[in-house]
Formats: sequence, C-alpha cells, structure tokens
Amino acid sequence: MADSVLTIRGLRKFFTVTRGFPRSRTVTVRALDGISFTVRDGEAFGLVGESGCGKSTAGRAVLRLVEPDEGEIVFKGENVITASKARMRELRRKLQIIFQDPYASLNPRRRIGKALIEPMRVHGIADEAECEARARALLAEVGLPDNAMMRYPHEFSGGQRQRIGIARSLTLEPELLVADEPVSALDVSIQSQILLLLQRLQERRKLAFIFISHDLGVVRYFCQSMAVMYLGRIVETGPIPAIFKEPLHPYTKMLRDASPVPDPLVKVAMLRIEGEVPSAVNPPTGCHFHTRCPHVMPICRTVYPEWRQMDDERGVACHLHTN
Amino acid sequence: MTADAPIIAIENLVTEFRTGGGWHPAVRDVSFAVQRNETLAIVGESGCGKSVTALSIMGLVPPANGRVASGHIRFAGRDLVGLDEEEMRKLRGDRISMIFQEPMTSLNPVLTVGFQIAEALHYHRDMGRREADASALELFDQVKIPSARQRFADYPHQFSGGMRQRVMIAMALACRPELLLADEPTTALDVTIQAQVLSLLAELKAAYGMAMIFITHNLGVVASIADRVAVMYAGEIVETAPVNELFARPTHPYTELLLRSIPRVDRDTVGLSAIAGQVPSIGAMPSGCRFAPRCPLREEICTRRDPLLVKLSDPGDHQVRCWLRAPSSEAGHG
Repeated sequence: MADSVLTIRGLRKFFTVTRGFPRSRTVTVRALDGISFTVRDGEAFGLVGESGCGKSTAGRAVLRLVEPDEGEIVFKGENVITASKARMRELRRKLQIIFQDPYASLNPRRRIGKALIEPMRVHGIADEAECEARARALLAEVGLPDNAMMRYPHEFSGGQRQRIGIARSLTLEPELLVADEPVSALDVSIQSQILLLLQRLQERRKLAFIFISHDLGVVRYFCQSMAVMYLGRIVETGPIPAIFKEPLHPYTKMLRDASPVPDPLVKVAMLRIEGEVPSAVNPPTGCHFHTRCPHVMPICRTVYPEWRQMDDERGVACHLHTN
Repeated sequence: MTADAPIIAIENLVTEFRTGGGWHPAVRDVSFAVQRNETLAIVGESGCGKSVTALSIMGLVPPANGRVASGHIRFAGRDLVGLDEEEMRKLRGDRISMIFQEPMTSLNPVLTVGFQIAEALHYHRDMGRREADASALELFDQVKIPSARQRFADYPHQFSGGMRQRVMIAMALACRPELLLADEPTTALDVTIQAQVLSLLAELKAAYGMAMIFITHNLGVVASIADRVAVMYAGEIVETAPVNELFARPTHPYTELLLRSIPRVDRDTVGLSAIAGQVPSIGAMPSGCRFAPRCPLREEICTRRDPLLVKLSDPGDHQVRCWLRAPSSEAGHG
C-alpha cells in the first residue's frame, strides 16, 4: 500500500455566528466535529456531501486558511498545525488550492503573467527570466495560448479562467492540491475538459488531491477513495469502487441513488418529501442523520454511532454496522 | 393541427438582443409544441437560448435591448407575440406560470409566503382575503410543506432552499395553470432535495394535467422528468426526440458528445469525452452549422450552409439538424 501524504485526525472547527434582528442570538455552527481521514501518495481523495456539511471548511482547514480549533494535520510526517510561521510558508508551497470560482480569486487588474509569476517571486524560486519561462510553460501545460500572459482575467471564459487558477496553483510545484468544487460552475462540455486536464496533471506530476464536490458522478470518475460528510462529521470512507457498489451508510446510499443518471431507463430514487433538513447549527441528537434515515432504530435517536473500521480501507459510523 | 391540439405551439421563433450596436438572434428559428400532461425538456449549455425561449413565451424579454423579432407563440390557439402588456398580465400567473432557479430572488423578502401565494388568487380569481388564504393553505399541503398553518405567516428567509422552491411551486400553481415553465428549478438544490422537488413536480403535473416546459443543463434531470427533449445549441434546436429515443440514439454529434462527457454515477466511465473549444458568443456566430467549429465530424459543407432540422426516416418523431447525420433532400438556406 502506498504511503500516506496527509493524515487528518480529530479535526474540529466551530464557528460562532450572531444573527437575528431585533433580538439577536449567538449560535454555534459545528462545521467540523472531529473528522479523520488519510490521503495516500498520488491519490485523489474525494470529500463529498451536501451544502453545509463542512466539506469546504475541511479543505480550507487543511491549508490553515481557517484555523482549526482542535485536531492534527500531518503532512508527510510533519504536523501542520504546530508549524511555525516561517515553516508554514514553506509548507504552503507544497499545499495549494483551486477554488470553484476562479474569477473571484484572480485580481481583475493584474495580467495573468504577473499573477503566475508573483508566487514564484514571493517564494524566491528563481530569477525573473526563469520565472517567466516557467509561467509560459505552465500556461502551455494547462492548454492556454502563450499570449495569455499579457491579458486580464475578464478576457477569458469560465473554463479558461479555471485553467488559469490551476496553472497558478501549480507555480510552486505543490504535492497536494485541494480542489474545492473545481468544475461545479462549468458547463458540461467544459467540465469534462477540466477533469481531463486535472487527470493528466495528476498522472504527470504525481499530485495528490483532496477533491471536494457535491457531484458523485464527478467524484466516482476522478477519485480513488472518498469520505462522505454529513453535518460536520464523516459518516463513511473507503475506496471508490467498493462504496459505489455497496454503500454501507444509508446516507451514502441515498446520495448515490438520488444522483441523476443520463439514462431514462435507469430509475432514479424518487425520495419521500421531507420538511426542513437539519443544519450544522443545531444537529439532531444521536446520529445526525436519524431524522432522514429509512432504517432508523431507537438507539439512533440518542447515541451517536461509534466509528467502525471494517477493514484497512473502509469505515462507517452507523448503528447498522456496529457489533 | 391534430385532434390532440397542443396547448402551446412555437413557430419559427426568433428573439434578438442588441449588443455592440447590432441586433443578434439569441434564439433562431425555434419551433416546438407541447401537449397537455406532457413535459418537454429543453436542454443546453449556458447561452444556448433555452432561458430566452422561456422569457419569450412569458413576454418577459427586456424591451430595452431585446425583442421577439419574428415567429409565433400560439397558446391555446392565440398568438402571444404582439399581445399588449395588459393582456399578457392576465395570462401570467393564471394560465401560464413560471418558476425560476433561485427562489430567493423571485420571492419578496418583506411579505409573508402566505400572502405571496394568495396574491395570484386575489388578483386573477377576484377572491377575498379569507377565501384566498384558505386556497393558499391547501396549496401548502399540496406542495407538502409540513405544519402549513404555522409556516403560512413566515417570511421567505425562514425557509431552506428546497422549501422556498416548494413555495415558488405553490405560487406558480395557485391558479391551476395550463402551462408551467420551469427554468432550472432544481439547479441550486442539493441532490436529495432535487430528487424530492422533481418527484413533486411530476406528481403535480399529472394531477393537474398541465403541460410543462422544463429547462435545464443537466441531462440526468432530463432523463428523469421529460417525455420529450429538445437539445439547443447556440440559439437553435439541434435535435429533438421522445426521451427514450434521444438517449438510446443520440444522433446530432453535439448530443452524442454531451452524453459522453458526463461522468456517470451508476457505472465506471471509461474514456470521458470533452468537446473542444467553447460556445460561440452571440455577436460572433459561425456561418453554416453553428456547432461545426467544435465538431469532430466537420466537412466542407458544414461551414458553408445552414443545416435544417430534418426528420429521421424510420422512427416517429426524431429530428436532427446536421448535414452528415441527417442529410436533407432540399437545399438549406444561407
């Protein structure tokens, strides 16, 4: 088995939010409620779940873009959380991120060339001429013309901007890329272009990915293993083929079966209509999923199921699978 | 017209927008018809003209820089093109309704949801407040909003995304429309909520016998809700067929490539396709077939002359706009 490049243990992040008018109240959002997972060398690890499940917070916490309250992030044997400022700067070179909306993460008044060269200069990687040569090579690698160097972000389409975002994330030759919904805002035909590009990069550069997505089809295609999150916790992890063949957690199964399939002969689950779906502000007692679970048992309402590791790779938190 | 008269028939619709000093068609020569109790899905990528088609039907093309340039929109036998605003307003929300992608932007944040649902009944049906409220409450039950009576006086921000979309559906259905236009109604929703809203729409369509035009970019959603499909590209319908036929025999190269570029959740995808290039912009449409610049099958004729939407020989109702896959006997225009 390949070595792990990243291990997360017991990561926790609560946000306190004040809201309401005229009588405001402070609530705690349990965005990450103690999650653990391992990304192996050169692997694409999918983090899936619906909005508000904490998957984006998890991705940002790995880079310490949000500071976790508790837990461990071990990147190649080194704890990222306790790293000094200077050391963190070096680690950031190895850990990069791609966002869903590259337009929001590019400075509209800065030419693409400059946006690509700046990180290299900040980290003192090479001299000016060398940086420029590298930037051009990166543009070619992500499939953009050479003249993109002198152009501004608004001159590009959504798909091209995502290519720019990818090129920029590669400037410092990272070993792990966090990709936060990188294809969700794109049209189908462009989405597959970007997926194929990411796949080429993964193979050529031996990159590891944390691939955050709500689209199970995309995750099934791109990733080798995945974790399913629900209201701040991981409910199931395992290799992609095994999970899709036989999901252990009822939530994983529900997600899989509700995902639309482009074939009218395949029956997509028509789900029972529910009321308000619970949120991470006030997760239900016991197993958070019990309010929506078709297999709910009395114990589910009171006790959160313990994590059970089924084998080397698969694990689940569900009373159906506890001894 | 056949014995089964369609509730709506669009004929050669052209809708134009003014950009850079000239008028450019965003929808070009679009024709289709929808029967009662039938769902037509219009599918395509951004900028293909699917939403503009819906806005044209609703008479909501912004008059400052847009116009229906030619064609007919026959609703229950009457042409909506050129109808004045007063007449349109009598139809909208009554016999024709529309739901949008983002319910929060179409709901008024300072009015209770109950009031907003009752409003259409008050306006179109001349109902008094009490009567309208009672009907609105019934609608709440029909779209399965739990504890309807308590939620009736809530404001839109107190609802989650999926519930807001159900409020929108209740509003749209208040007057029992004959035609419902749904523009990406589930795109902003999580998959489990999407599945719920889709089954609710299918159920209500059958119960009311409505015709539905369902606009989406998601071929998976199309497969689960449509009776018939029209695929649009760059302002034109490039292929149209009954849903099973379309997915079994995608014939236009664009449809075929689109289907092969979706990573599937139900099986391993081997050899994902990508479509090179991007959708042409409204001011820079290529001559001939609009898909030609991105088409791997392109031949000389494709860039020279516009292909027509041609009926395929054997099956009943399958039309394709392609010189190579559906050659027409008559000469194309352009």
